[in-house]
Amino acid sequence: MSNHDEELTPTPGQRAINLFRRTDVQRALLFTILWTAVFVILGLYFYPKWMPEVMSVDMKSMERIMIGFTIISAPIAGLVLGIATQAITNRHKGDTPPPDGPAVRTNGPIVAVWTVVSGIFCLIAIVWGIVEVNTMANAATTEAGTAVHVQVIGSQWVWSFKYPDQGVESDKLMLPINRPVVFDVISEDVNHSFWPVQLGVKVDANRLQTTVIHTVPTKLGNIDVKCAELCGLYHAYMETSGKVMTTDDFNNWITTNGGHVA
Amino acid sequence: MTTLHNTSTHSRPIPNPSKSLITKLNMGTGLVVGVIFAFAAYYAFRPNADTAGFYNQQNKALLAAMLFWSVGFLIGIGAFIGPFRWLIGKDLTAEEQLYLAGDGQGVKRYFKYCTDHKVVGIQYLVGVMAMLAVGGGMAMMIRTSLAVPGGHFIGASVYNSLVGMHGITMIVAMIIVATGPFGNYIMPIMIGARDMAFPRLNALSWWVLFTAIPVLCSAWFLGGIPTGWTAYAPLSVQAGPGMNAFVATILIFAVSTAVAGMNVTSTVVAMRAKGMKWNRVPIFVVGATMSVALAIPAFPTFMLAMVQTATDRVFNTGFYDANVGGSGWLYAHLFWIMGHPEVYVILLPGIAILMEIAPVFVRKPLFSYNAAIMGFAGIAGLSVLVWAHHMYISGWTPTLNGPFMVTTEMISVPTGLLFLVMLGTIWRGKPWMKLPMLGLFAVIWNLLIGGITGIYLSDVPADNYLHGSMFVTAHFHYTLMGAALTGAVAGLAYWFPKMTGRMLNEPAGYTAFWFTQIGFQVLFLGMFIAGAEGQPRRVVSFAAMYKYSNMISTGGAYLVGIGFIILLWAVIHSWRKGDIAPQNPWGAKTLEWTVPYPVPLENFDEAPIITSDPYGYGKGN
Ligand code: HEM
Ligand SMILES: [Cu+2]
Ligand SMILES: [Cu+2]
Repeated sequence: MSNHDEELTPTPGQRAINLFRRTDVQRALLFTILWTAVFVILGLYFYPKWMPEVMSVDMKSMERIMIGFTIISAPIAGLVLGIATQAITNRHKGDTPPPDGPAVRTNGPIVAVWTVVSGIFCLIAIVWGIVEVNTMANAATTEAGTAVHVQVIGSQWVWSFKYPDQGVESDKLMLPINRPVVFDVISEDVNHSFWPVQLGVKVDANRLQTTVIHTVPTKLGNIDVKCAELCGLYHAYMETSGKVMTTDDFNNWITTNGGHVA
Repeated sequence: MTTLHNTSTHSRPIPNPSKSLITKLNMGTGLVVGVIFAFAAYYAFRPNADTAGFYNQQNKALLAAMLFWSVGFLIGIGAFIGPFRWLIGKDLTAEEQLYLAGDGQGVKRYFKYCTDHKVVGIQYLVGVMAMLAVGGGMAMMIRTSLAVPGGHFIGASVYNSLVGMHGITMIVAMIIVATGPFGNYIMPIMIGARDMAFPRLNALSWWVLFTAIPVLCSAWFLGGIPTGWTAYAPLSVQAGPGMNAFVATILIFAVSTAVAGMNVTSTVVAMRAKGMKWNRVPIFVVGATMSVALAIPAFPTFMLAMVQTATDRVFNTGFYDANVGGSGWLYAHLFWIMGHPEVYVILLPGIAILMEIAPVFVRKPLFSYNAAIMGFAGIAGLSVLVWAHHMYISGWTPTLNGPFMVTTEMISVPTGLLFLVMLGTIWRGKPWMKLPMLGLFAVIWNLLIGGITGIYLSDVPADNYLHGSMFVTAHFHYTLMGAALTGAVAGLAYWFPKMTGRMLNEPAGYTAFWFTQIGFQVLFLGMFIAGAEGQPRRVVSFAAMYKYSNMISTGGAYLVGIGFIILLWAVIHSWRKGDIAPQNPWGAKTLEWTVPYPVPLENFDEAPIITSDPYGYGKGN
């Protein structure tokens, strides 16, 4: 009897309990958790595995974002796919339409909660991004004084590098470790895009218009330099290599190429 | 059964105004006049190989030939007879108007300037399928070439052209893939109209678009489009004569979308059945209308960008030439002010189709019609404020990257509403797993992946790495192909019975579905990995370290190719000899299912009166 009364006017607490007693809700929840786990694993394990070695502060921040955003979006993706998977397990077979479902036209609180929660997730992503952008911009100004300056010249279809302070020119990108570097990038013809892959930065090379990027290499090793903007026939072959070296090695390289250490 | 299908229900005499010029004109006369115009224009502006200005003269002559071809074709098919007759005070007679509507002309009307919206819808459908087939063939060649490192299969020049031609063919096809066939054939019936608001403009939009197709194809014989679909300057100014085909295609296509957009919006505003208030309009109509309405302000900037590309190439105006004070950034802005809204022009109708399908196949009302409208409107509104996320690393103004990041990431909120509507509709229902419904589930997955990867790309530090890489290519294929195209194919499966009178072959349809969808995941999973590993996009050759990811991609691409061939076979076969469809095979409540096949010339014998929205499914409704 009392059970019957409850169904007429359930309290919010009882409504919640009833909701979780429903098998479709339980199943959807289970699938939500499974899918969330899939995305968390994807973020934690696969991105670091696929992306090249982290050799600069910018690459580090990029990797943090890929992992972080994947994990943040995991519960949302989990819920979406959880509900969809639940629906698939409940599918109707046959050549006639399924029986009528409940005639629910909307659910105000659900729409509101969905909107607010997705807004919050969106806000987290925005704030995170803004903070990273600001950190990068600030670092660029404070470290500019001590930085190595490299002039990057793109032309169809080669990269070349000038070190104005050291008086060296090269077709390979050589950098000292742990010292900020500023790239002044320019093109002699059409647009190119300067991409030292393992440093995690990129900027277009435009004709008569210098663009600037900044980073700090943090690990010794080889760099692949590529062009990331279709620039004509041999765009695919517009690549060269480079190296992050110890300060001593870098200075040696400068002097053996006729430059002076600065 | 077949007798019923073939019975013609003509009650009035077949119009035959045999003295009128319109009876003599068709696609053939259009081709003849168009070709004459093209040669005449080329001859008038013919370049002189001995002069220094040969390059400019050649561009001028080719552009003139292409644009005059389009005008000549339209004259030759009779597109301007109506306005001309009106101008001289001798408007078309009622009989001539009926003749123009194709009344009683059978298959011939598909090759004429026909004002019946259902004929235009079929013309768009066949045209779109042809474009997708050609674009898909080029994709297969691209992926074959990328199967192994080193680029041995095709040379750099042909490869670059393939990428550009594939891209622009597919983008053009995707812009019209849903609003063309279904917006023309189904939408007027859905709102209870007898035709579009401007039937002659409707025919014009199709035939203008049609003239762009040979122009685009001519690029192959003029050295190709070596710039990718984005046609960035100054590379586009430097490019060879094939570039003129790109410029002319866009100029012509922009006219077609403007005409079509105006026509569709006018129709929906002015021609709805009695009682169809705004909150009773089927959701597909809302989504399609928002899509074409968004294209109206977007396309003129692309047109302007192309006009400037043309004048740079013909008159050395130097809009994009830094040597004389121009800038490639100007082009990039004009392009993306069109380009970003345009991706939502493509997406919205696809999603709206699925929202139309879901209630029918779970027998529940659409969940929160208002959230759907807010989702569409929010996306359309924000989409004009985000274009520079394509230019984060162009260096034009790094300080504005922050604000563009904010607007871009805000789009995920209205996008979330679209998910809520789809999920809310299927929740607690028993989905009937027919082909259209399979499309819905596939799109939920694909759009989710496309959306999440979009959030990475909208983040500036992440885009510093990912821009210009295969990762971007994979992102937009998940949204364009995985979501928008899958949605359109679901729409084809859903409306096939109404458009052809026959059911789409199910076993072939399911097989095609699984081949395309599984192949698609493999194909673009491989491409995400290649991008994360650092492979740039649009490269004919890549290093050995990307070997496996590319091999996976190519394998997936072949599965997709097989799937689409099966789908094409299913469509052609079912169209010719599929099972005869009942009038309302899915038990849906929108108006198009209340009319028989073949749909009578003016759709309804009696104008329908609407008393509720079309989603009254479910217990207690
Ligand atoms: C939440 C949703 C989305 C976000 C946040 C987003 C974000 C982005 C960003 C930031 C880029 C630029 C990447 C780069 O070039 O570095 C991009 C590229 C692109 N997106 Fe999206 N996107 C979203 C959804 C979509 C949808 C729905 C479509 C199409 C239906 C789409 C189509 C494209 C295309 C075509 C490109 C590349 C254009 C090119 O460079 O060739 N995106 N997206
Ligand atoms: Cu390049
Ligand atoms: Cu965009």
